Amino acid sequence: MSESLFTQLLDLACGAFLLAAVVVLWRRELAAIVRLFALQGLALAAIALLLGLHEDRWDLIVVAAGIGALRAGLLPYLIRRALATLVTDRAQGQDQAAYTHSEEVRETQPLVNVAASLLTAAALTLLAYAVARPLVELDPTPATRALPVGLAVVLIGFFVLVTRRRALAQVVGFLLLDNGITATAFLAASGVPLIVELGVSFDVLLAVLVLQLLTVRVREAFGTTDIDDLRELHD
Amino acid sequence: MSLIPAALATATGLGVAGAAAGLVLPQRVRGAVVGVLTAGVGVAGGASGVAALGGSRWSAEVPGLLPLAGTHFAVDALSGLFMAVAGAVVAAVAVYGAGYVAGGAHGLGSRGAQAVLPLFALSLLLVPAAASVSTFLLLWELMALTSLLLVPAEHRARPAVREAAVWYAVMTHLGLVLLLVGFMVYAAQAGGETFAALRSGSGAMSPAVRGLVFVLTAVAFSSKAGLVPLHAWLPRAHPEAPSAVSALMSAAMVNLGVYGLVRVGFDLLGGGPAWWWLLAMAMGGLSAVYGILQAAMASDLKRLLAYSTSENMGLVVLGVGAAGLFDHAGNKALAGLALAAALLHVVNHSAFKALLFCAAGSVLRATGERNLDLLGGLRARMPLTTGLFALGALGAVALPPGNGFISEWLLLQSMIHGLAVPGVTTAIVLPVAVAVIALSSGLAAAVFVKALGVGFFARPRAEGAAAAGESPLLMLAGMGLLAALCAALALVPGLLGDGLDRAVEAAGRPGTRPVSGGGLQVRLDEVSAVLSPLWVVATLTVTLGAVTATVRWAGRRRQRRTRARLWDCGGGAPTPRMAYTATSFAEPLQRVFDDVLAPEQDVDVTPMRESAYLVERVKFRNRVPDRIEHRLYRPVLDFLAAAGQSARRLAGGSVHAYLGYGFFGLVTLLVVLVVGW
Amino acid sequence: MNTVGYTAIVLQVGAVVAGAPLLTGLMRQTRARLEGRAGAGVLQPWRDVRKLLRKEPITAVGTGPAFRWAPPLLVATSLVLAVLVPLISTDTPVRGRADLIVVVSLLALGTLALALAGLDTGTAFGGMGASREMTIAALVEPTILMAVFALSIPAGSTNLPVIVAGAADQPARLTSPAGLLAIAALAVAVLAESGRLPVDNPATHLELTMVHEAMTLEYAGPDLALVEFGAHLRLTVLLGLLASLFAPWGIATGASLAAVLLALLLAVLKVAVLGMALAAAEVFWAKLRLFRVPELLAGSFLLALLAVTASYFLGGEGGQR
Repeated sequence: MSESLFTQLLDLACGAFLLAAVVVLWRRELAAIVRLFALQGLALAAIALLLGLHEDRWDLIVVAAGIGALRAGLLPYLIRRALATLVTDRAQGQDQAAYTHSEEVRETQPLVNVAASLLTAAALTLLAYAVARPLVELDPTPATRALPVGLAVVLIGFFVLVTRRRALAQVVGFLLLDNGITATAFLAASGVPLIVELGVSFDVLLAVLVLQLLTVRVREAFGTTDIDDLRELHD
Repeated sequence: MSLIPAALATATGLGVAGAAAGLVLPQRVRGAVVGVLTAGVGVAGGASGVAALGGSRWSAEVPGLLPLAGTHFAVDALSGLFMAVAGAVVAAVAVYGAGYVAGGAHGLGSRGAQAVLPLFALSLLLVPAAASVSTFLLLWELMALTSLLLVPAEHRARPAVREAAVWYAVMTHLGLVLLLVGFMVYAAQAGGETFAALRSGSGAMSPAVRGLVFVLTAVAFSSKAGLVPLHAWLPRAHPEAPSAVSALMSAAMVNLGVYGLVRVGFDLLGGGPAWWWLLAMAMGGLSAVYGILQAAMASDLKRLLAYSTSENMGLVVLGVGAAGLFDHAGNKALAGLALAAALLHVVNHSAFKALLFCAAGSVLRATGERNLDLLGGLRARMPLTTGLFALGALGAVALPPGNGFISEWLLLQSMIHGLAVPGVTTAIVLPVAVAVIALSSGLAAAVFVKALGVGFFARPRAEGAAAAGESPLLMLAGMGLLAALCAALALVPGLLGDGLDRAVEAAGRPGTRPVSGGGLQVRLDEVSAVLSPLWVVATLTVTLGAVTATVRWAGRRRQRRTRARLWDCGGGAPTPRMAYTATSFAEPLQRVFDDVLAPEQDVDVTPMRESAYLVERVKFRNRVPDRIEHRLYRPVLDFLAAAGQSARRLAGGSVHAYLGYGFFGLVTLLVVLVVGW
Repeated sequence: MNTVGYTAIVLQVGAVVAGAPLLTGLMRQTRARLEGRAGAGVLQPWRDVRKLLRKEPITAVGTGPAFRWAPPLLVATSLVLAVLVPLISTDTPVRGRADLIVVVSLLALGTLALALAGLDTGTAFGGMGASREMTIAALVEPTILMAVFALSIPAGSTNLPVIVAGAADQPARLTSPAGLLAIAALAVAVLAESGRLPVDNPATHLELTMVHEAMTLEYAGPDLALVEFGAHLRLTVLLGLLASLFAPWGIATGASLAAVLLALLLAVLKVAVLGMALAAAEVFWAKLRLFRVPELLAGSFLLALLAVTASYFLGGEGGQR
């Protein structure tokens, strides 16, 4: 594909990638957050696919397919399943309409309100641009110029992880973090060795499984997954 | 040329095979097989060391093993000396260890310990062969970790073992951190991490950086060698470890601290200003005197031997420091002599200390006791072990005909003739050094008379000692090998001769051929001195025979020896408890050195309930604490504990806070990066 | 050269062996006369040794090889020292082997053997003697080696014949401050090593005051003969060493039999005079408490250290000899 087409498509994918992360900060319903995460996974797969097509590397295309399957398919499915388990526990006996109004589905008042979160996201993006500038200057290609996006998503994902109260929202934040790292790896170095990617993916999968189980247990033990109630982790 | 790599490869192969055997084999054959394989590791490593001492050199680069840096190996005569010593000790102690574990699946005989033992032996042999910073640190850490896994092997038997292992772990890794920082600074400034690059780049570094590197590495290496002030792990870890492991640690591992000091100070940095060597001499001298004083106060046999190791390493480092001092002043020949003396003492010390620890292990295994106060009477029940311990003790007291005397003689010669070096520093330092050597050897004599006399002679003072039996054959065989080594070093030190010279030359100083043929000669510019140990031994033996024959002839009319009771002042037969114990033997020395030792005494009187004037129980406790530990470590530990307590406020319990710490840390770092660029 | 050298050694050893009990007898007789007693005669120690040698050999119950072999070892080390120390001639076949550090160490070996024998008995006396003896020996070591150091600086070697020959050539060295300090330090060390007053009383058997006697309390018969003979030998060798180092006039440095015989005579005379002087001094000394002995030894160590520094600084820096 031509250079300009590639650049435009890549920028589009990266823009979608970053936008998804920012909107996660804005929306409060857990189901919406999971959908946004799936969207971001698609954008990430698109980035990898574009890079593979541009450089004619079939292994990148395979990896893109794998990433898409994992991060846009399997992981959101697992989280949705965990969400459903939480809700049906609570809403036993009630009909389907009660699902959307269950307390578990919405995030309670986050630690930092929405306006401040969005401003923080903007500041973090600026920081990511500032930090990545020397790296971009080393080798200014369209892919590396989009590097700050990856770093920004890392920071935003971390921020989500810190400021959400519900356990599942924190899981999504952790996954955003990982998406950002993977995007940075692809944009900076055209991907990491296959075995590393496999390892990381497996890691993430395992983490989500464990977190899902833990969330259910927490819910069973305390009646809520609001982590502000869990204050015993100290000496 | 090809012997060294072949031998090293054999050693590595045998070591890995031994580890596998230890993991896989059933308990019946595990000890024997692992013992044989470890002995093989020792023999192969020792062979490569001997080949290096004979003049071969070898170096190689194996890029695959470590990512980023690759591994570099180089064997010259200096590393060959340490490899040969380690190899000999490993071979003998492996045989001893096979006997030690026969009959028990716990402690050293367990799967884990037997799997790690060959790896420990292998690391002891490979550390001197490392030729780049990353290889050296990798092997050093391997040695530390394997020994760390071996020290608590008998933790089920004694709870004190766990504390000892913790102390050892912390201190060895403290040393590693210092070593890491020192080497990193060195490599960064010299522009390369292989030893060749460090050697060539050291000339261009500023004196401040060279001094920093020397201080960091010297402190780390001296901690490994057991010198004060970072010695606290030695009297804790050596007694609690299984005796075979103690022997390996004391006779092979602490040597590597000296190896590091000589390698970095003399070879890589190429010598330095006087204050480096004065620092080394101060540490060495202080360790020598303090170590032997603490040994004099110790009534735990293995603790006594551990402190004696500290003393001997102090003497070695004293010699190394003197060599550096002479070298700095320009007298290379004298520096070579002092270095040769220090290296010879390393060899001799390894031989007799391994033998002593093995004998102590035999005693522990036979009686279940380490406390000298509760031993005694072992010469009738364990005659061979007593004889072997006596041979080791003869080496340790540094008197003829022992092997310790030879290296101490050479060390004294180098100090005494060191006055040929002009300067007020040497004029003040050398007499003090001679006094330190003399005091420590005098006290060493007292210490080993105590250990041998109180622990092995007279009559048993407790049931454990009374129930002792001779050690099994394999243990005796291992000790016999070490005893043969001691005897060879004592009678024919010329065996080392040229090898010692080449080792000194590999460290960059001229060899003065002090050891040759059947004796030692010091022939420098205007000085000369000769020692022929073989002649001394021969004359002593002949005279002894003559005296005994004369006495027999003079009393030829009455041949039978009759036995009579001991003098008991008319109060009945003396009980074994009336004999002098180790504590009472050391009491005059404790009184003389009261200010230095600061013993603590507690008297606790419990009167009877009915009347305060009648005593029901009196509890008396006398302890000689390790004063340096008290003064130096307590404040540091207290500060760390206080810091930890105040840091608890950070852990409030909120998960958000914990996550937030990480997030803010990352963001701050990035901001600093942006701003700083 | 060889025959004269061997003759010198034979004469030396013979004189030491024959004269050691005589020296002790002389010292006891001097002391007795000074104290107003008649004394037992100069030959009494010989008579004692002969009597003991003919007695029944006895071993105490419960002792072992260390106890059996310590007396012969003690005598053997003293005899080897008698061979090594150049009392009569510095030109003997063993002159290459007579290192001063070796001499000092052989003395310590004898002490060690006896201490082990004391512990081997398992009685409180033996242990007590061994403990005290080893404490004193440990503290004497720095003094002796420092004195060795001081003596070897002007001579450039620790080889005894070289030191003695050097001292004979340049008698001015001995009257220098370094020399005098070294003499004083070594004299105190000799007193400690041979177990004489004020460090140890060789004639006492009170528990509080015994050091050497406590270790050898269980010996009887030929063993006791050897122990006593060994003590006489040690004293003679040590006094001979002092005489050779600090009054080396008359010691044969060449290979003439006449010089050797003259040297023998002079050596006997010197040692006798030293012995009598020591015995006379002992009349006026009391034994020091055990815990005052370290102070005495520290003082002698200081003297030796001063001797070293004096000989270095006053004799010019290294190289000028």
